[in-house]
Amino acid sequence: MNNKEKAVGRRMPDTHIMTILGLMVLVIIMMLIFQPGNYFTLMNLRSMIYQFPEYGILSLGMMACMIAGGIDLSLVGIMNFTGVLAALIVKNMVTEEGGMAAPAIILAVIVALAVGGLCGAFNGFIIGYFNIPAMLVTLCGLQLYKGLAYGITGGPAINGMCDPFKEIANGSIAGIPYALFIFIVVVLIVSFVMKSTVFGNEIYFLGSNAQAAKYSGINTLKVTVMTHMFSGILGGCSGILITSHLNSAKSSNGETYTLLSLLIVVLGGVHPDGGKGRVMGVVLATILLQMIANALGLMHIDDNTKTFINGCMLVAALLLDVYLDKRAAKRA
Amino acid sequence: MNNERRVSLALTSTPMILIYVMVVFCVIAAIRQPAFLSPATLINLCRAGIFTMCFAICEMVVIISGGIDVSFPAIGCVAMYVPMYMYNNGMGVDSVFFFFGVAILIGLAFGILNGVLVAILKLPPLIATLATSSVASGGLIMLLGTREFTTLPPSLDWLYSINLLTYTDPATGFKYPLTILFLVPVILCIVVALVLRYTMLGRGLYAIGGDKNAARVAGFNVKKLQFTAYIFCSVMASATAMMYTTLMHSSTTTALMGEEMIIIAACVVGGCRLTGGHGSVGGTILGVLLITLVQNNLNMLGVPTSWQIFAVGLVLLLGAVLSSIQAKRIEKLGKI
Repeated sequence: MNNKEKAVGRRMPDTHIMTILGLMVLVIIMMLIFQPGNYFTLMNLRSMIYQFPEYGILSLGMMACMIAGGIDLSLVGIMNFTGVLAALIVKNMVTEEGGMAAPAIILAVIVALAVGGLCGAFNGFIIGYFNIPAMLVTLCGLQLYKGLAYGITGGPAINGMCDPFKEIANGSIAGIPYALFIFIVVVLIVSFVMKSTVFGNEIYFLGSNAQAAKYSGINTLKVTVMTHMFSGILGGCSGILITSHLNSAKSSNGETYTLLSLLIVVLGGVHPDGGKGRVMGVVLATILLQMIANALGLMHIDDNTKTFINGCMLVAALLLDVYLDKRAAKRA
Repeated sequence: MNNERRVSLALTSTPMILIYVMVVFCVIAAIRQPAFLSPATLINLCRAGIFTMCFAICEMVVIISGGIDVSFPAIGCVAMYVPMYMYNNGMGVDSVFFFFGVAILIGLAFGILNGVLVAILKLPPLIATLATSSVASGGLIMLLGTREFTTLPPSLDWLYSINLLTYTDPATGFKYPLTILFLVPVILCIVVALVLRYTMLGRGLYAIGGDKNAARVAGFNVKKLQFTAYIFCSVMASATAMMYTTLMHSSTTTALMGEEMIIIAACVVGGCRLTGGHGSVGGTILGVLLITLVQNNLNMLGVPTSWQIFAVGLVLLLGAVLSSIQAKRIEKLGKI
């Protein structure tokens, strides 16, 4: 019995990962047929790598919250708010000749991560303490942080940061972008936290049954606050990346990322009701979506069509989830 | 003793607190800007509140049934854009019925889509309607492109020019007309309030919002009720979007996007609970009033324009916290 349960539990995410891998192969075959010259070049591979870390990291934050049974819609708000703060720090500290660049960037990164964590913790506290649905609180949070960013900038974007700051997301070493290293480090940290710490296990517990988690002695308020703080820190990290990547910070950057990160997370096999999901699936889903976005870009398909396709894929991913759930229930 | 308690409970209930907040807001605004105290403000408030009110009633019905719909702005955009596009490309007749009819048909189609996703396929409502939203808005621009229609066809212009009453400011001579479409939210509120209170349909919506399984056991057709809620929401949202085009003289592919946040917040501030089963038309009206008042008159309080998004967010968050505290209090008092 125990063995069987384990087998079913293990097969579930695996089917997801197999599906994603299958879709990747499909994309590659399609591109082999339609765009063999453009798609399989080193240039294109690098341009893909420059793009996905921003929303890949956001999706990991979304994943943590969703596994805990909630959702974090404020991530884009946190991303832009921290991005604006970082841009201000870099812009004001670095002198004309480029002096003070290193300390300014370090300070900007620390401030972004800390403020991101604070924003997340604030969300988590309101959710846990007042027992308000995460969806509502994070929607309000989105408005709040977006409003803060808008209030600070007054509308126009902050542009023209120093070169070393641009290098964070645009630079590369031996042809491999720094952004990829940052993404890998973040993925390793997140998977360590989710898999090998007590906190990670508590997130899974909380998501599968909040009531039971409470009665078995888990401080649900603390776990909720920490989960959202974790997600907020990831939002801050992504804020640094996007600000550096675009070399500009404003309150409305990357507004499609909310839908995109939801899509990635659901496609990656995280259950919308919480309790289930793996970092591996989310990472693979991020890469898959980047491959698709890139393929569509090469075929000169505009952003609105991408939004349309993403919406359809979200529904398809959800349907796949329902189907897999039913099959698993039948086997058990 | 018991009486005193009831009075104190009534004085601190959510609607009363909303009223206090609004009174304080108005007093401060009136002190800072004496011009606030004029019928013109009232008429502006009514005009600005028309769409918010209609959307909020739509959303409220879905929230009461235990779901959520974030797709109505996108559906509304499709519904306001497609008829104008058809008219400007020589398809369709110049008639109010044509414009509203097409809009309502579009709403019906998307409502059925939402209903299928949520009621039959049992997808989480938030994510399902988010997907519908991106399919609707992405598909619209993909198929029909982005244009802006700013000239109304004669029939809609005729509808626009009918006013209930017109107030002329004696000092400046400005005219403040109140359009006939103001009657739509008024009638909608009355009808929805009656349906929710006195019909099996209305009670069923509350029942499935409270506990789906219990409602099913009690003999309610859960799927049918969910379908009704989502279809009502989309259809009404589409009609409202057409009203928006009529009153604002504009029809674009993104005019309403981003509206869902404010509308959901208006419902929640007015006492709807996102977990379903709670909420009333009266509360929602108060919530909408508060939000419209805040949105349109923040500059009278001296809040700079660039901080208004933040201020609205703050008001929404406070509203959510407030209604949760109220819910906890009522739960404690319930078991006497």
